[in-house]
Amino acid sequence: MTSEVLVLATSAVLLAIGATGALIRRNPIAMLMSVELMLNAANLLLVLGARVRGNVDGQAAALIVLVLAAAEAVIGLGVALALFRDRDRVDVDEPAEVHG
Amino acid sequence: MNELFLPLAVGCAVALVSALLVVLARRPVHAVVALLAHSLALAALYLILGADMVAMGQVLIYSGAIVVLFLFVIALLPQGGSEADLGFGRVLGGLVVGCALLAGLAAWLALAGPLPPAAPNAGGNVVEVGRSLFGRLIVPFELTAPLLLVAIVGAVAIWRRQERVS
Repeated sequence: MTSEVLVLATSAVLLAIGATGALIRRNPIAMLMSVELMLNAANLLLVLGARVRGNVDGQAAALIVLVLAAAEAVIGLGVALALFRDRDRVDVDEPAEVHG
Repeated sequence: MNELFLPLAVGCAVALVSALLVVLARRPVHAVVALLAHSLALAALYLILGADMVAMGQVLIYSGAIVVLFLFVIALLPQGGSEADLGFGRVLGGLVVGCALLAGLAAWLALAGPLPPAAPNAGGNVVEVGRSLFGRLIVPFELTAPLLLVAIVGAVAIWRRQERVS
């Protein structure tokens, strides 16, 4: 197994772990953290691609994804805080105003 | 780059174990600490892969800003954000989807064939990354400015609406 394949496999497994976590958790904070895991997996793949291709565009794209992750975390945490600040339980299935 | 195999393997192992802890930890504070370890492990991986600038951004933005933001929100949530019991069906469904995703990715990677050999001189110094950001990737780079502005306005708007209700 070469180093590239190792990193590639790690990225794929990280994406699967993040997707599973986002699906099974009820806590919006834990779900957001799982989404961050998935974004990190994509970033790892971008950096690996930049390395393999000898092209730094992948690294620049990874930086842009970092900014995107920060913005996503701010909005997600803001919504979680606004929804759950006055409730005694933290459960994403509970608030009626997000059922549509 | 096979002389880098051992450090890469250690970094990947730490990243995978801490990612599992993020998903499995029952208390959100433990999950945040695992997320911190995860982001630091990924920064080390980026350094080994020659992406100095991305590693620096990862430490500053992820370990510095995002993890602290998560900690603040957990401190503000009721009961520290501890959650109700996960139903059996929910866990089963999540595991099925995760395993299916993993199997699909593995099949796709197996069908894609071997990777091309690593390009020589795959440097990633700050000058080259900056040239790429301000050259070919100038449009997405400039679009991050309105993205951040929208995020700020959105966060404030969510909070204002909540204040009016309560």
